[in-house]
Amino acid sequence: MSEARALLAAGEELLQREGVYLDEQRWDEWIALFALDCEYWVPTWTSDRALATDPQREMSHIYYANRQGLEDRIVRIRSGLSPASTPMPRTAHLVTAVLALEAPTPERLNLRSTWSSHVFFPRRRTSHTFFGYAHYEIARRENGWLIQRKKVVLQNDYIPSMLDFYCI
Amino acid sequence: MDVNQLKSYIDDRPENGAFRVHRAVFSDPELFEMEQRYIFERTWQFLALESEIAHPNDFVTAWIGRTSVLVTRDLEGEVRAFVNVCRHKGAALCRGERGNAKYHVCAYHGWAYDTGGRNVYIKDGKQGCYAPAFDAEDHDLLPIARVGRYKGLVFGSLSAAVPPLEDFLGEIRFFIDLAMEQSPQGMEFIPGRANYFYRGNWKLQMDNGVDFYHLTSTHKSFLTVQERRRDGTAGNQDARQFDWSKRLSQDGGMFQFCHGHTVGWLNLAEVEKRPIYPSIGDIRKRVGDLRADWMLKLRNLVLFPNVQIADSTSLILRTFRPLAVDRTEMQLRCLAPIGEPPEQRAWRLRQFEDFFNASGLATPDDTVLYEDCQAGYAARPLQWLQGYARGLTTLEPGASALARSLGINPVSSLQGSYYVQNEAIFHPMYREWARLLECGLCGKESYP
Repeated sequence: MSEARALLAAGEELLQREGVYLDEQRWDEWIALFALDCEYWVPTWTSDRALATDPQREMSHIYYANRQGLEDRIVRIRSGLSPASTPMPRTAHLVTAVLALEAPTPERLNLRSTWSSHVFFPRRRTSHTFFGYAHYEIARRENGWLIQRKKVVLQNDYIPSMLDFYCI
Repeated sequence: MDVNQLKSYIDDRPENGAFRVHRAVFSDPELFEMEQRYIFERTWQFLALESEIAHPNDFVTAWIGRTSVLVTRDLEGEVRAFVNVCRHKGAALCRGERGNAKYHVCAYHGWAYDTGGRNVYIKDGKQGCYAPAFDAEDHDLLPIARVGRYKGLVFGSLSAAVPPLEDFLGEIRFFIDLAMEQSPQGMEFIPGRANYFYRGNWKLQMDNGVDFYHLTSTHKSFLTVQERRRDGTAGNQDARQFDWSKRLSQDGGMFQFCHGHTVGWLNLAEVEKRPIYPSIGDIRKRVGDLRADWMLKLRNLVLFPNVQIADSTSLILRTFRPLAVDRTEMQLRCLAPIGEPPEQRAWRLRQFEDFFNASGLATPDDTVLYEDCQAGYAARPLQWLQGYARGLTTLEPGASALARSLGINPVSSLQGSYYVQNEAIFHPMYREWARLLECGLCGKESYP
């Protein structure tokens, strides 16, 4: 296997692992995939055609300049005090079409994936499929690859009641 | 439905301190059609901000109940509003949400209209062998009955029998001004679409937007997250969110107004957490200390039936639209001063996303509970809801001393500690709801 293909395979494994951790609600392992200073961004659509391009000037569904905002969300779920998270919705993430957006290097991967996430809301006995694509910037650190930047594009942005990080 | 059945849905006996709402108000399928005809199609409905259609040929699309509305600024600079439907076969005309277009062309058979609503083109019209009866018809877009503007807000009505917009809004205008006068250049919506829907009646959102009682139970997890952020190191510090627990020791109150409008307010402990705070000196000079101080307080407004302007964390304007008796579409906007410095704008966005988004840390907990309520309304033995009773012994008819100091004349006033968490704030909405439906059922004018 060429080095480029091996690097891409390592990146793809990380993306698949992220989905598995979300589905199995292994939150500590999930958040450990992200660098402390990672950017996590789910832009809104500003019209039927255009996505927001600047989180400092346009609305985001979620925008965090570092990992601490994601930690808030795990605290909220674990508190057992959030009606929207109790009982926890169950998910199945399908991550596919992983492409390198630039030539992989041993230090840095820039990937695009297509994803769908089936979410079952036990409270209402209903299911919904969120879907879209994601851009990842993944950086090599001492202990392996970490997500440095993740941008999630939600293609069906007509949200049934609620959306949280594990739904996408 | 006859008027007696309608009257049996609201138990309003102020002389006994009783106000009860029947669960059927949220679940009787007959009410959907009645509410559309006698409330949504007979009141002023929010359409747009003037700043969204600042230039000639700018347009936005909006809804009045089940009617799609095209709002334009025509070439003469006038704000116009039309039923957004082609006269030829009734296809939805403009499918965009906003933009600038000299002409709106129907995708079906190519009829075209200018931004003044005039039909300017009937494709192959000359060769069409139309009879004179067709030529005698008006082919222009149907204008809606009324368009009105107040402080940068554009409203419309499908009924001509509405009072002038300023009279419809009445004395709650004082509180609208506090939202719309935060910048000398006016207010704008920050770009971005945050639309969602829930399986519940629209009035669940109407109530919850001014419900002070639910914070410490529904939003316990939000309060837990905020608590953890207090030391300044953990969590999303960029939101510079309030210490919400400090709200519980503040005084607040509410004012009931005419036409179903209502407002709740609360003193805030940490006014420096307001994104407008860095500009408050300029605001004071422009609007005076009294109004500037009130801009820093929490203020949640319901403009009956379906507009909420909430300034509990960053300022929002929310509209909600019934799609069925048990299904509601939400449109959430982040309302901001035009010309706001970039650093304050980013801060505002982080506060907004933290609390209000359907992907935020607070609103989802409200929304799933509306769905729990809707599920609960299927219970036949349940009759009267007991959620409209708090605060009635502190209710003051007419204007309180505080109201007089603000120069407003509400229908009634209430003031007390946070823990009153009054539910009298809901009463004007249900009184107006019942009044408008009764007018409709009896064939009377809504605003004689």
